[in-house]
Amino acid sequence: MTNDPKFNPIRKGLLEFLILQIISADKVYVADMMSRLQDTDFATQEGTLYPLLSKLRREELVDYEWQESGSGPPRKYYKLTAKGKSQLAEFKDYWAYLNTTINQLGR
Amino acid sequence: MNTVIIINLNGNAFHLEERGFESLRAYLERAQAQLKDNPDKTEIMADLEQAIADKCAHFLQPHKNVLSVDEIEDVLKQMGPVETDGAQPSQNSAACEQPRAATSHWDTPKRLYQIREGAMISGVCTGIAAYFNVDVTIVRILFVALALLTGGIWILVYIAMMLVIPFANTDEEHAAAAGAPFNAQEVIDRAKKHYSGFKDSKEWRRHWRQQRREWRRRWHDGAYWWAHNLQRNVHQFSTHPAYGAQLIAGLLIPFLAILSAVVFCLWIVAVVQLASSGTIFGWTVPASMPVWVSILILIFIYSAISQPLRHARRAIYFNTGGYNYSWFAALDGLLALGVLALVCWFSYTHLPQVHDFFQHFNENWQTMWNNIVDSFRRTGVAIGLNRIAESV
Repeated sequence: MTNDPKFNPIRKGLLEFLILQIISADKVYVADMMSRLQDTDFATQEGTLYPLLSKLRREELVDYEWQESGSGPPRKYYKLTAKGKSQLAEFKDYWAYLNTTINQLGR
Repeated sequence: MNTVIIINLNGNAFHLEERGFESLRAYLERAQAQLKDNPDKTEIMADLEQAIADKCAHFLQPHKNVLSVDEIEDVLKQMGPVETDGAQPSQNSAACEQPRAATSHWDTPKRLYQIREGAMISGVCTGIAAYFNVDVTIVRILFVALALLTGGIWILVYIAMMLVIPFANTDEEHAAAAGAPFNAQEVIDRAKKHYSGFKDSKEWRRHWRQQRREWRRRWHDGAYWWAHNLQRNVHQFSTHPAYGAQLIAGLLIPFLAILSAVVFCLWIVAVVQLASSGTIFGWTVPASMPVWVSILILIFIYSAISQPLRHARRAIYFNTGGYNYSWFAALDGLLALGVLALVCWFSYTHLPQVHDFFQHFNENWQTMWNNIVDSFRRTGVAIGLNRIAESV
């Protein structure tokens, strides 16, 4: 929507939660996450995504299982842990709260 | 001529031009430096290498096994710089800017694949669902309906798809299977734009009404109705040789034979038009619809119309019954052939387009074939058909 670099930190901060949101719907591959983000303002690349996913896994918010594929090595198939789910719920509440705050301040 | 270096990316060997190798090494070294303090460094590096390998494989073909500098640069651009939370804010914002610029690069063409994940048989339906961005259940229901309507022929089509459509194995291919969004709304929008010339006017409404009337008429003429009525008549007279039924059959057989022949001719014309120019009787097929999909749809429509007709004709022979059966069947077959021949002869002598088409049959056939093969290639159903195309 906007390319103003001022908003970059916001986008960057939100990316983590958007990833959780995407994974919450289904078990997904990295490629699925990227194609889903592709048309949004949060379009991202492997260079960003892989380190972020490993961070989320260290924080035990997501987990992955290896899925065999016909050719080539097995792929990582990501899913949300219980902790990840509660974190996502917490984020959504907080986001709604922020929204009301912003709107009320404007009055 | 450039020196080629063989590298190992997460267990996959690739041939790179020397300068490409330098860029790749620089990229990976930067990534290593960025991930220096990351406990998952080895794993992330392996993931990155695998992602690069998938993207590189995309550029390789049977007769092209070296990656050029430009291709490597392209791959690295798609990958984007490796960044972690530890990086400086200024670096972050710079890096965050890049992905948006690079998204057009990442716009891989959408391709049709079979997707094994969540598949019931082979993954044809899941792949098609991903391609058209619709729910897989809808595709499955459609396939079952098609299998029933075409009397099992669709099962052969399904098996052909199973053999011809490649599987999505790499992450890259999974992304390409879903590709850019394609949905019904887009098709509708395009159709609206097409008709926008007379969309709001009375003309549009009249056009629509006419269309509906046409559909209704066709439905009423539907051969099931004939077959059904006839059967009832015959049951009433079944103890006697059914004179009334024979009379009706005598009238109906030529009518149905002509109708079948005309439907067949229209269908052939539609397929030829579609394959050579992408239009059907003046209506331009949306560009996002591959030619081969349109042809499949045409086949389906044809069988949906011709199947009831065929059943009706058969119902008539059976019901008029007895020794007359073979006589009727022969008459019907001859009539249909005769009408077909007549239509062919008439259109050949009286319609310049048809005449021209046969005059230049070889070139026309070539363009049609190329169009169809191209549409397959564009949707990624390439492997098997390329071989067929080469041998033709």
